[in-house]
Amino acid sequence: MKRYLNKFYGMILLVAMVAAGTSCSTEDLDPSLEQSKESANAILSVGDMEGVLKGAYNRFSSSGYYGRDYLVTNEVRTENVFSNGNSGRFSTEAAFQYLPNSVYIWDNAYEVIAVANILIQTDLSTLELSESERAYAVHIQGQAYAIRALAHYDLLKTYGQQYVGGDLGVPYIKTFKGGNDFPTRDTVDSNISDILSDLQTAFDMMSSDFFDPSKEFMSKYTAKALEARVALQFEMWAQARDAAKAVIDSGIYSIVSADDYVASFDQDGGANSIFEIAASDTDNAGSNSLEFIYRGSTYGDIEVLPSVEDLYGDSDVRADILGYEGDKLRNMGKYPNRAANVIVIRYEEMILTYAEALYQLDNAEALTWFNKIPENRNAEAYTEMSEENILLENRKEFIFEGLYLWDKLRYEEGLEKISPLQNILEDVPYGDNRFAYPIPLSEIDANSNITQNPGYGG
Amino acid sequence: MKKRLNGFLTLLLVLVVQIGFAQEKTVSGTVVDEDGLPLPGVNVIEKGTNNGAQSDFDGNYSITVDEGSTLVFSYVGFTPQEMVVGASDVIDVTLKVDTGALEEVVVMGYVSKRREDLTGSAVQIGSEDLQQTPMATVDQALQGKVSGLQISTSSGTPGSVQDIRIRGISSINAGNDPLYVIDGVPIINTNVGGSNATSSLSSLASLNSNDIESITVLKDASATAAYGARGANGVIVITTKSGKSGATSVNVSSYYGFTNNAIEGPDMLTGAEREMLYYEGIMNTFGVGSMEAAKDFEAENLGDYGGYVAWNAAGRPEGNWDEVIKNEDAPVQEHTISANGGGEDHTFYASVGYFDQEATVINSDFQRISGSLNLTKSISDNFEFSSSNTGSHSFQDGLLEGSAYFSSPHTARYFQSPIESPYNEDGTINLGTTIPNPLYVGREDIDESKLTRILSNNSLAWQTPIENLSFTTRFSVDYQVYNYKTYNNRVRGDGDDTNGYGYQASRNTVTYVFQNSIDYLMSFGDHNFDFKVLQEYQKYRRNFIAAEAEQFVTDGLTNVSSAGSPTGAFGEFTDWAVASYLGTASYNYDSRYILNGTYRREGNSRFASNNRWGDFWSVGAAWNLHRESFLAGSDFVNSLKLRASYGKTGNANIDLNQYQVLFNYDADYAGTGAAYPATYGNEDLTWETSYTFDAGVEFGLWQNRLTGSLAYYRRESQDLLLDVPLSFTTGFDSQFRNIGRMENKGFEAELDVDVVRSSDFNVSIGGNVGTVDNEVLEVAQDANGNEIAVTNPNAPSGSQRSAAGTLVNEWFLPTWAGVDPETGVDTWYVDGEGTETTTQFVEANRVYQGSSALPSITAGMNIHIDFKGFFVDASGYYAGGHQIYESWHRYINQPNLYATAFYNGYDALLDRWQQPGDQTRVTKSIFGGEPWTYNSKFLHDGDYFRLRNVTVGYDFNSNITEAIGISSARVFVRGTNLYTWVKDDNLLHDPEVDATGFTSITTPPVKSVVFGVNLKL
Repeated sequence: MKRYLNKFYGMILLVAMVAAGTSCSTEDLDPSLEQSKESANAILSVGDMEGVLKGAYNRFSSSGYYGRDYLVTNEVRTENVFSNGNSGRFSTEAAFQYLPNSVYIWDNAYEVIAVANILIQTDLSTLELSESERAYAVHIQGQAYAIRALAHYDLLKTYGQQYVGGDLGVPYIKTFKGGNDFPTRDTVDSNISDILSDLQTAFDMMSSDFFDPSKEFMSKYTAKALEARVALQFEMWAQARDAAKAVIDSGIYSIVSADDYVASFDQDGGANSIFEIAASDTDNAGSNSLEFIYRGSTYGDIEVLPSVEDLYGDSDVRADILGYEGDKLRNMGKYPNRAANVIVIRYEEMILTYAEALYQLDNAEALTWFNKIPENRNAEAYTEMSEENILLENRKEFIFEGLYLWDKLRYEEGLEKISPLQNILEDVPYGDNRFAYPIPLSEIDANSNITQNPGYGG
Repeated sequence: MKKRLNGFLTLLLVLVVQIGFAQEKTVSGTVVDEDGLPLPGVNVIEKGTNNGAQSDFDGNYSITVDEGSTLVFSYVGFTPQEMVVGASDVIDVTLKVDTGALEEVVVMGYVSKRREDLTGSAVQIGSEDLQQTPMATVDQALQGKVSGLQISTSSGTPGSVQDIRIRGISSINAGNDPLYVIDGVPIINTNVGGSNATSSLSSLASLNSNDIESITVLKDASATAAYGARGANGVIVITTKSGKSGATSVNVSSYYGFTNNAIEGPDMLTGAEREMLYYEGIMNTFGVGSMEAAKDFEAENLGDYGGYVAWNAAGRPEGNWDEVIKNEDAPVQEHTISANGGGEDHTFYASVGYFDQEATVINSDFQRISGSLNLTKSISDNFEFSSSNTGSHSFQDGLLEGSAYFSSPHTARYFQSPIESPYNEDGTINLGTTIPNPLYVGREDIDESKLTRILSNNSLAWQTPIENLSFTTRFSVDYQVYNYKTYNNRVRGDGDDTNGYGYQASRNTVTYVFQNSIDYLMSFGDHNFDFKVLQEYQKYRRNFIAAEAEQFVTDGLTNVSSAGSPTGAFGEFTDWAVASYLGTASYNYDSRYILNGTYRREGNSRFASNNRWGDFWSVGAAWNLHRESFLAGSDFVNSLKLRASYGKTGNANIDLNQYQVLFNYDADYAGTGAAYPATYGNEDLTWETSYTFDAGVEFGLWQNRLTGSLAYYRRESQDLLLDVPLSFTTGFDSQFRNIGRMENKGFEAELDVDVVRSSDFNVSIGGNVGTVDNEVLEVAQDANGNEIAVTNPNAPSGSQRSAAGTLVNEWFLPTWAGVDPETGVDTWYVDGEGTETTTQFVEANRVYQGSSALPSITAGMNIHIDFKGFFVDASGYYAGGHQIYESWHRYINQPNLYATAFYNGYDALLDRWQQPGDQTRVTKSIFGGEPWTYNSKFLHDGDYFRLRNVTVGYDFNSNITEAIGISSARVFVRGTNLYTWVKDDNLLHDPEVDATGFTSITTPPVKSVVFGVNLKL
């Protein structure tokens, strides 16, 4: 009998144990969250908005975007430089051999846009803000519009079909988690109009009271300068003229003098700078920086083609940007170290934009404005304006800054094979499909609504 | 070190106790079997004497002996047992049935079962087998020993992580590593290394394989469901050695030997050969007619682009880089002293060990000192306390091997130019090489990991007043202190642009496990029940702090405090927790019919509160036919079992906090912190589950001279924790969702034959084979209903992906169509097959190649021969049916400027196309670069056989050993990885690659020859 009683007790104990078990609470398993915040708690003040805004700028600064790849990929597709293959970097881009497995800036730019949209979507009435805080919050939202426009503009230039005979642009994303995770490509025209509209909104929302002298954050006239750049690129000459003129008339910026030209690239926040991406001793792209790709032996893949030396006249201070490392012709002056800010847009571009727009609109003042740049570089003045001279002066002024490719494409010029050192085997004529980058395969895998550009397989 | 001393002290104390008193007395007691029935006629002998007695009909015996002597209880069909005579006058003994392998007790973590009572698939490896592999981590000993277990050495760096896959791949994104259990407690076994750029460090490297009694590999649901939530990838149960009652024995095992790379790898071009290919490239590219004309063309247009003009002027010195970075015959050694013993109320096992292995290249090694102390102590008749403790300190001087780093000594032979010299003419290191000289970088730079680990597992068992009901409470702690340091020197290499670079990290992790369990045995006649309920809570906490800095003030001081410019500071805390409740029930009828059931409910902090808990279960049944009357007494069939099981297990091995929509703050801009959206979030996220069916037959024939098993399994994984790619336009690249299904099925067989069985001559051979047939059944879809194929993020350039109907991570590449004999360039099929080919890589569509990096068949073979004390053991491992990809071919296996001017190329490039009509797989040499062209040209059959272990040894005759006062002695020579057969002639690198399936140019597996001695005092 005792034997069976024992068994009985045993069963009771087992059941009690199981019952005790199920009473353990789910809350005991809540994880700590010490490095992150849940989104509901992330934006509660204007300070939080500023933190998120910096998140957008930080994504611009990635070496995959303005930190290096975007500028260099544009530059190696011109007659300015080539990739020497020292570390194998950028030789594929320089040879126009990029494939759809490359993601390039597609992810970086849309990540910037997502952050901008978070700020644009923030309902200021839900935050407790003083009057001055509210004004700053609106200014931040204005920056977010300009940021969204710039990132879409970069995407449009890179992936849009405007230079390869098509009319597809990129998806213009105006909401964060807006419910459509499978967008289609908008047209080039629709992209241009959205970009210009965002820049106008940005200009209207930003206040001159919050002008940032460091130039590391966008200010009111940054939006206007970007508008001038976009309008010029798409040959909207009158709008380019007016926007450039507005920047010039703001009186905020000035052309850097010949004496200061070379040194200006090692000085953050110069008077000629309109907007630049911050870098510092403690926050930079390290070995993936522009410095390391333009010179040195760690990477040092980007060398200057010998004919570039012949571009500049004897007294032209811009020739001093060039120099030698051993027998390698190098960009020594721009992006002199990885702690130097990366200029996105500077005042000299506004002068040349204004001059070019005037020229295209047959305004006689064009040449005067055009010569303001060579005058400040100890270079010979031009006696006439022509498309050839416009390209030449833009090339001289903005060499290594990743802009010349777009000037050439604006005037329907392809890339010439002028040296055996170049990575291309033959000329790449204007209209070649490779002037539109392939949409990343990983994008098309995830979203079959996206159409691939021609020449990159099905 | 303290632990080690403790071990010695205990050992000394015990010895003192053992020899303290010798007093004659009469000892009596009862001998029973495991069912508690008395055993009559048991021989009771005082060890080493003729003094003996026998038990009577009621199992009672009585004998007069000296205190401190040892009694040996033996009875036909039972395992003999030794007991030391202590203070007590009563010694009761339970003898266990010994009927060969079927009676083997299989340790399954929470429970142990007789093999006969198993309804699932489990393979147990004993300590003898585990010690046949002289390597730093004990998991390396499993290769070839367990059917269906695939292990590959991802790196030859001692102490680095091994990839283990049990019965294929069950998850696409949530991890495929098995769960590790040490002494009944789940442990975290991950890479503890401090940097992805350098060597990995397995936390298993902190264990001394000599301290391990057995490793059990649990494969099917019936065996793994007890670990339900984390059992889907299989479970590896490690049991440490425990003491045995009886006289204290001391074991000394020691070996010393030499290691080299298992496979030499491809021969590289000499400077002269490379020069020829370079100028040929100019001829081909610029249409220049001759070698001389090519040299003129270069001088005119390119300067000394290739560097050969200067090289010729210097007298054409060859670099011979692979010679200078080798650490030929790198020493490996391990020494362990252990002691075990015990008295009536206690047992102990104590050990100290030292392991030291140098890498096969300069400036890298691994060392470990370890100590362990395992104790059991009966506190009273009803309470027993057990404690297992291991302490160890591991040191790894690692290498840059996370990618193909230029400064790594392993890559020097591939990347250093053969026309540049390692040394200057005066014998100093040449610092002027284009790529940093690894001789200097290796000497000056630092990459070291220090891991101190304490594992302590303590339990108290209470035999309750209720008969056969016991209660056990267990507390285990795994405490790891990890320090990592990197320093790049100021002069040459990755630190030369910043005047030196330093990074130091400190990580403390602690994992606690609390377990409470109740065991209850119950019998009615031939009906036997065994119940267990268990409650477990596991908590993991991790504190991490690190700093980095540049601008060092002087050479020789390498800590970040000596740097002028701090560039980064990092500090973080993370944790996770798992709570679970487990119930198991076993039933057998007369050991003939067996039923097992397991249920586990587990909650995991990785999921939202309403999706946190999962239910996992299994059922299993077995039929022991040899217990049936029609087979009883058969001379032919000694054992025959049919078994089957089915169950549900889970997997949750994804990053923390993925269910939450999070902002992260580890970014900065313009000198202040920045915030960004970090996860897309998914409130619905929950467990990934697998349903496994397993059926098998096990047999022993002709007095168990032929034993074996055959099994079939099918595992379907559902609700996969899939990192579903998102359109980048969302601002994210992926989101974890429970979607998709996958299947793995296959056969496993094991067979062991005792060919010759006698007292002084034995021959046995054995083998095992396992197959995996993997198929993805379903993945996510996009808005248009199109499948979203999942690209393997660990494989470069989208070269592996998964979709419905493919293998998991199937190779996805354009198919190579050969080198055009007329023009000497590569051609590819436009659509993977057919007649349409193209010379433009971009026009070649990628297609599934029908293969993956996962071997579809693996096999192990072993042979044992012993004759009058001499013995030979050999074992081998075969893996096949898979394909692996040749890494870095763009730089070193294509005749372009990378191979001819910047780095170096294989000498196989000499077979290049030269003129129309040439049939070769190597294209013509060109002056130019080529982009990454991942294509099937560089996809090779991965099949290989490796002679894993050959040991030749001698066990000294007991007459000799007794004469010198020890109980046994063995000497041996052991070779590891001495021979490798590779199926594909174009595969020039080691075929044993990591689970991703890419060959390595950094740290290949090693072969070794060691000389060893084992002594038992």
